[in-house]
Amino acid sequence: MQFNPCIKHKLIRNSARHFAETELAPIAAEIDQQRIFPRDAINKMKALNYFGLQVPEEYGGAALDSISTAIVVEELSRVCAAVGLCVTVHNGVAVYPFLQFANAAQKETYLPQLASGEVIGAFSLTEANAGSDAGSVEMTAVKSGSDYILNGTKIFVTNGGVCDVALIFALTSLPENKLQSSVFIVESKYPGFLRGELEDLCGMRANPVSSLFFEDCRVPEENLLGKLGDGMKIGLATLDNGRIGVAAQALGIAQGAMEAAIKYAKERQQFKRPIASQQTIQNYIADMATEIMAARLLLYRSCELKDAGAPFGCEASMAKLYCSSVASRVTGLAVQIHGGYGYSKEYDVERYFRDAKVTEIYEGTSEIQRMVIARAMLSQSMM
Amino acid sequence: MVNKQKSIWVFGDYRNYYQNRVTLQLLSRAVDLSRIMKAEVCAVLFGHEIEEWIMEYTAHGADRILAIDHPSLTSYSTENYLALIEKLARERDPDILLIGATDFGREFAPRLAKRLQTGLSADCVGLDITSEGLLVQIAPSFGGNMLAEIVTEHHRPQMATVRPGTFKEIPHNNERTAIVERLPLPADLPASRVRLVEYERAAQREHRMENAAVIVCGGRGMGNKNNFKKLDELAGLLGGDVGATRPVVYAGWAGHDSLVGQAGKHIKPKILFSFGISGAIQHTAGLGETDFIVAINKNPQATMMKMSDVAIVADAGDWLHHLIRELKKRIRE
Amino acid sequence: MVTELPWDERSGTLRRDLAAGMMNPACKHAVEAALQIKENQGASITVMTMGPPAAEEVLREALAMGADRGVLICDRKLAGADTYATSFILASAIRKKCPSFDLILCGAYTSDSETAQVGPQLAEELNLPAAAYAENIDVNSGNIRVRRLVDHFRETLEMELPALVTVSMERYQPRYASFSGLDKAFTRAGISVLNAEKLGISPADLAQQGSRTRVRMVFVRKAQKENVTITGAAARAASEFLDRYERKIGAAIGKSIEAKK
Repeated sequence: MQFNPCIKHKLIRNSARHFAETELAPIAAEIDQQRIFPRDAINKMKALNYFGLQVPEEYGGAALDSISTAIVVEELSRVCAAVGLCVTVHNGVAVYPFLQFANAAQKETYLPQLASGEVIGAFSLTEANAGSDAGSVEMTAVKSGSDYILNGTKIFVTNGGVCDVALIFALTSLPENKLQSSVFIVESKYPGFLRGELEDLCGMRANPVSSLFFEDCRVPEENLLGKLGDGMKIGLATLDNGRIGVAAQALGIAQGAMEAAIKYAKERQQFKRPIASQQTIQNYIADMATEIMAARLLLYRSCELKDAGAPFGCEASMAKLYCSSVASRVTGLAVQIHGGYGYSKEYDVERYFRDAKVTEIYEGTSEIQRMVIARAMLSQSMM
Repeated sequence: MVNKQKSIWVFGDYRNYYQNRVTLQLLSRAVDLSRIMKAEVCAVLFGHEIEEWIMEYTAHGADRILAIDHPSLTSYSTENYLALIEKLARERDPDILLIGATDFGREFAPRLAKRLQTGLSADCVGLDITSEGLLVQIAPSFGGNMLAEIVTEHHRPQMATVRPGTFKEIPHNNERTAIVERLPLPADLPASRVRLVEYERAAQREHRMENAAVIVCGGRGMGNKNNFKKLDELAGLLGGDVGATRPVVYAGWAGHDSLVGQAGKHIKPKILFSFGISGAIQHTAGLGETDFIVAINKNPQATMMKMSDVAIVADAGDWLHHLIRELKKRIRE
Repeated sequence: MVTELPWDERSGTLRRDLAAGMMNPACKHAVEAALQIKENQGASITVMTMGPPAAEEVLREALAMGADRGVLICDRKLAGADTYATSFILASAIRKKCPSFDLILCGAYTSDSETAQVGPQLAEELNLPAAAYAENIDVNSGNIRVRRLVDHFRETLEMELPALVTVSMERYQPRYASFSGLDKAFTRAGISVLNAEKLGISPADLAQQGSRTRVRMVFVRKAQKENVTITGAAARAASEFLDRYERKIGAAIGKSIEAKK
């Protein structure tokens, strides 16, 4: 395992950090409060390949390795997690299935648009009664001539308010009357594709999370991703990758919160000295830094496995579980160090604190991650 | 061998005389140094119709003036000036050559040093003479957080560009006299390779608060919104910006973009006026790199007063009113 | 066309922005100016820096932005050079690696009050016409027009190429490198590393062309807080204050406020 990032990784980090600090830092608090999707900043990011991080060059992408991709998401999230979310969902769970499962024609049609960011992607599995239990999707896709007709409702769709293409999981009937989920590439311009109001969430408020409604939405059969009934397979593989993205996001939030807390602790005077000179505060900082370092190594380890073509699902779950819990703890401590001010919207740590929580929830809750990890451990020990 | 008369040269930079009197400040320091070194102070002056400056430099401490007055020298030219000073310096071998750290000085001095094959330190904030008679050039270093003492041991002249405002000029003295050498434009002056196509005096440069040289900050001690608005007038006179504390922004006296502090702008002006501000860390954390702080507060015990260079014990609004009145009398455009 | 990007070893080794692997912002503006010239007129851009091995990152970043090749001058023997020696070394490298250059661009100043002397001294070393603080550069066949603001004067200067121009931070807002550019900057060769020997700089040259200045000592700038307290009637206090600090305030605001005599 490579413990020292190479110059390239350092330069990619610097580049993303410079962008985030210049373009996102000045607006992060406001777009959070006003629930604004920052189109200008996003447009700048499109030109810089933020939407084609791992897409091969032939389709106009940057063809970055997975550690670079994680670094980019980490750096965006360190400043503005909602934009980090937009990027990681687009790259990690909307573009990734195209790279893994799309046929040549689908790649040809969609990858260049996705890589350039001209088309923003979403991934839509969750329903009112299907979240962690991906098998209980109720949305249907019924064959009609050379089309499928989609009906149903998806909720909590990240990028839902702005996506141009969504990967939709719907039940399809297979031979022998078996019902199994399949994945469809659905363009927002198809009639019957309707968006709900934006969700008013606790954190990640600048991301246009919404419901999507499908009312007799006709999707051509060539938009079936993979084979009929591949839903579960595509879903699980995609979530493995998505977890790396959420881990990177959580890590970035934790890093940002820790840096803010350290800065504050050195500036804030109580009892005529900076609170950073208090041992209790020092202990907090030591714990934050140690956990962040451990989280980062765990994350990069899963990236490395993925790039080596090795199974990485268990490690991705570990990284996601650990990074998100570190994010929650670190942002909590960062608020604590800030005292009353940290509980005020005037300080960034309040936003970090709200943004961190969801990393323990989406892309598989911490409980689900533990299930995945334990299952892997138990099946290994049986061998 | 006859001991050569030691000489400290000051480059006569007069183009922005009314805004920037660095040449007079350098003459003043050169006079101090000349007493230690037993040297003469010599102003080097190029231009056209320069009698005014000859008189001015004489009155401000020059013992000798080397002046070249010629229509072709009407506007500043790096290449012409390089050729002229090079020739003079080679003929007369000055020990020290001081140049104001104006934009022009900082463009011109490095080339001159290279041409004379000598050392140069940049933007000095102090000058002194060692016991061996070397010029100590005190220059900011490592991002301005440190100062370095620099010497040029084996090459002459010892050159430095010096930050305007570092030294205090000697009061104007009409009684002083100087030897004025009016020298002809050398016949062999090469044509400048850089042509000045056009020039005009520029309007005030636009700037952002983070880069402003002067910032006037107000706090709740300004009493009311009307008083606070008067800070705009002061800032206008000083060519600066207005900053505000959190309570003031919350009270609606100023916009959020004026907020200075941890959660707002981090400023680094040369001079900060702090009116009626107690000095909570949330504000003072934004003042890290401020050079010079003037605090005005009724309470001499306020943190802001203690961290200031000048603490003025007064009602902030009242004092502001008087400061504006006094400044209007003095400012010459 | 060639663009050079000088880097001061003495400050470089200790400078925060280099330690973090970032190009000095002023130099980045110079790179941007070069890229715009390349886009308008066509050019080949060489970026050059002098520094420790880690300075390679800066060159990679410039390649990612669109420069064509990089030159890193890296040699412990050259460490500690002042601007006099640095400009000699850079000139040697330029003569060696790109003798037929048309234009040299440098950052006009650095963000952290460094000397800004290398550019003009490099021009002198190479005997070039030069202009500092360029806000706008127009290249026409064989000559160059520079718009700039110096000491409150807006000037337009014109000179023949080859020439040297230092670029201000006003107009050439540097582009961000795309990730695809960053990735490619590492897959192609493009960077040559030179030491004193490869530059043909002998110990005798270093002695002859070496540093002219010596740093006797470095000390922390004292918080020179004067802590003067002024009290008394507001009108008198305001006048007393201005009398005492007229020079300081005058220098900061660029206007004289000395009481009229």
